[in-house]
Amino acid sequence: MSHGHTKRSSQDIRPNERILLMGNPNVGKSVFFTEFTGIHAISSNFVGTTVNYMEGHLPVGDAEFSLIDVPGTYSLTATSEAEQVAVEFLKEGAKAIIFVLDASNLERNLCLALEIRQYNIPTIYCLNLLDVAKRRGLIINEKLLEKELGAPVVPTVAVKKHGLDELINRLEYMLKKPEEHEEISCANCTACAFHKAGEKADVWCAAKDIARHVTSNKNKTAEDNFFDKLGAASVKPWPGIPIAFLVMALLIGVVVFGGRGLRAAALLPLVNDLIVPFFRWLFASFIPEGIFLNILTGEFGIFVISFEWILALVFPYVLFFYVGFSFLEDFGYLPRISVLFDNVMRKLGVQGGSLMYSVMGFGCAVPAIIGSRAASSRKERIIVTAAICFAIPCISQTGALAALLSAHSWWLFPAMIGLGLLIFIIVSFIAGKLVKGKVDPLILEVPNLLMPDPRSYGRKLLTRMKHFLGDATGPMMIAILIAAVFAESGLLAIIARHTEPLVSQWLGMPSEAVSALILGIVRREMSVVPLLALELTNLQAFVGGAVSLLYIPCLSVFAILVREFKLKIAAIVTVSTIVIALFVGGLINQIGQLFI
Amino acid sequence: MDGGAINLYSAEKNNVFTVVSVPNIGLLENLGIRLGTTISLQNRYAFGGPVVLRVEDAYSVALGKDVASQITVKEAGL
Repeated sequence: MSHGHTKRSSQDIRPNERILLMGNPNVGKSVFFTEFTGIHAISSNFVGTTVNYMEGHLPVGDAEFSLIDVPGTYSLTATSEAEQVAVEFLKEGAKAIIFVLDASNLERNLCLALEIRQYNIPTIYCLNLLDVAKRRGLIINEKLLEKELGAPVVPTVAVKKHGLDELINRLEYMLKKPEEHEEISCANCTACAFHKAGEKADVWCAAKDIARHVTSNKNKTAEDNFFDKLGAASVKPWPGIPIAFLVMALLIGVVVFGGRGLRAAALLPLVNDLIVPFFRWLFASFIPEGIFLNILTGEFGIFVISFEWILALVFPYVLFFYVGFSFLEDFGYLPRISVLFDNVMRKLGVQGGSLMYSVMGFGCAVPAIIGSRAASSRKERIIVTAAICFAIPCISQTGALAALLSAHSWWLFPAMIGLGLLIFIIVSFIAGKLVKGKVDPLILEVPNLLMPDPRSYGRKLLTRMKHFLGDATGPMMIAILIAAVFAESGLLAIIARHTEPLVSQWLGMPSEAVSALILGIVRREMSVVPLLALELTNLQAFVGGAVSLLYIPCLSVFAILVREFKLKIAAIVTVSTIVIALFVGGLINQIGQLFI
Repeated sequence: MDGGAINLYSAEKNNVFTVVSVPNIGLLENLGIRLGTTISLQNRYAFGGPVVLRVEDAYSVALGKDVASQITVKEAGL
C-alpha cells in the first residue's frame, strides 16, 4: 500500500481542511454523510488500494471543509485494506473527526473510538441508533459519556435527521475553541488510566468499563419490530433458506421484468422513433449514400446500434440490477446469504463469505475480482475468480440473455440459470482440487436489517450508474465500431465463410453468428446482442446463450486478471473459457439435435 | 483445561457461555470475541455449516466450523 499521498481528487485538500467521518461498519455512517453533504460527492479510490471512499463539502459556520467518509472498520490493527486506509487518513491528520457510535453496541464501538483517540485529533461523537438501543431497553447517560470521553457527545437518530443540526453546531463550537473540549471536567474514571497505556488489551478494558458505566438496563420498552423479527428469521436455516431463494428469485424478477418493461415502454420507442430517425435524417442531409453513410447509420451503423444496444438493451437491465442489489446491500441482507450457504461453499473448497463476490459479479466481474482481494487466502481468490469468469454473466450480459431467451420460450432462461449454477459448482469444485493451499473459515458480523435511508440509497444508485456508464461506454463503442465496419464492409461475410465448419456444423448456428464470437471478446453482452437480430430456433438460442455464458470474460476482465494474477493465469483462464465454451456449446447442439 | 470447558461448535443452543480459550485471529478479536466474552449460540447449520453467536447480547457474529471448533467456552456463572 502506498504511503502518505492519498487520492487523486483531494490531493489539493490539506489535512487541516479535512473532517473525517469514522466508525464501525453498519452504524449508519453513510446516512450522516449524505445528510451533511447533499447529493454532490465524489467517490474516490485510495491510491494503491481497492478501497473506495466518498468525499463531499461540509460547511461549518463560515468555513468550508471536506468531509471524508472513511471506510468503516472494527479496529486500527491494519489487518484489512480498509483498516490500512483508515490508519493512513489518521496519520495524515485532520481538523476534526466525527465519530459515529452505535448506541445499541457501545462497548465494541468504544474500542475503536479509544484507539483513534491516540492520534490526538479533536473528535465529536454521535450517539447514533438511539432508537434501536431504546427498543432493547438500553438507557445511555450521554452526559456521563461526554465526561468519560472528554469530548462532546450528541445523541442522534440519523435516518430521522434527529440531532444533526446540534451536531454541526457543537462541531462549529469545538473548532472555534479547540481548547474547550479538554475542559469538560473529568469524571476520574478508568478511561483516564488508559490515556497513558497504549496496549490493546487496555483499550478493551477501558471500553468495557466506560460502556458499563454509562449504560443502564431497563426492561425492553417495546417488542421486537418487524425488521428485528425478519432479521432473526432470515438467518435461521428455516425459514432463512426459502427466504434466500425467494429473494434471489425476486431480484431476477425485478431485473428481467423491470428491464424489459422499461425497454419496451420507454427506451425502444425513444430510440426507434426519435433518436435513430433523427441521426438518419441528419447524416443523410450531408453525406452521400455509400459505405461511409452505412457505417454511420446503416442497419449496423454506429449511430443505430450504439443506441439500440447501450441505451435500449444494456442500460435498463443494469439499472434494475443495481436497484435491487443496492437495496439488499443497504438493507443488511447480503451477509445472511453467506451464512446460510457457508456449508455448501465449504464443500466446494471456499467459504460462505466468497458468495458476496459472486453476487457482486452479477453486476460486473471487474469489481468482484478486485473485491476478492479481501478474501484472506490466494486459493479462495483463484477459485472465486475462476467461478466468476466461467459461470457468472455480468448484468448487461444477463439482460441480453434474458432478452434473447425469453423471446423464444419461457423455460429457456430458467434453464440457462440452471446451467450457470451447474457450471459454477463444477468449476469451483475442480479449481478447489487443483489449487493448493488453505481457505480461512467464515468470520462475519450479521448486521441488523435496517430500512435503507432513501437519500443514501439514491446516491449510491446514482454513483453506481455513473461508474457503469463511465467504464462501459468506451469498450462498448469500440465493439460497436468493429461491428459496424465488419458488417457494412462485407468483411463479416468473408470471416463467416471461413468459420462455417465451427459455427454452423459444430454449433449449429447461422454463419453470421460468428460476429457474436468476435465482439464477445471486447464486451460480454456483445457475445449475445448480435444474435438478437438473427432468426434462431429454441435450440440455437440456447446454444448461443450457453457459449456466451462460458465465453471469455471481456477485455476489461482480461486486463484485471493480468494485473491481479500475472499474464499466465490470465492466459489460462482466457484460452480455457473459449475452448470450453465452444466445446460445451457444440455438445449441447449435438445432443439437442438427437431429440429434434 | 478447566472443568466444564467445552468446544463452542458442539455447545448447546441458547445457553449463555463465557469464552475460555480462543485462537489468535485478528478479526475475532476485533469483533469482540476474546477471553471472558459472554456469548450465546443462536443458530447452527447442518452439513458442517457455521454457528451464529450473540455476543454480549448486543450483536451477532457468524463463525465457520473450523474456527468455532477452535474456541472453548464454559457455561456462564460456573
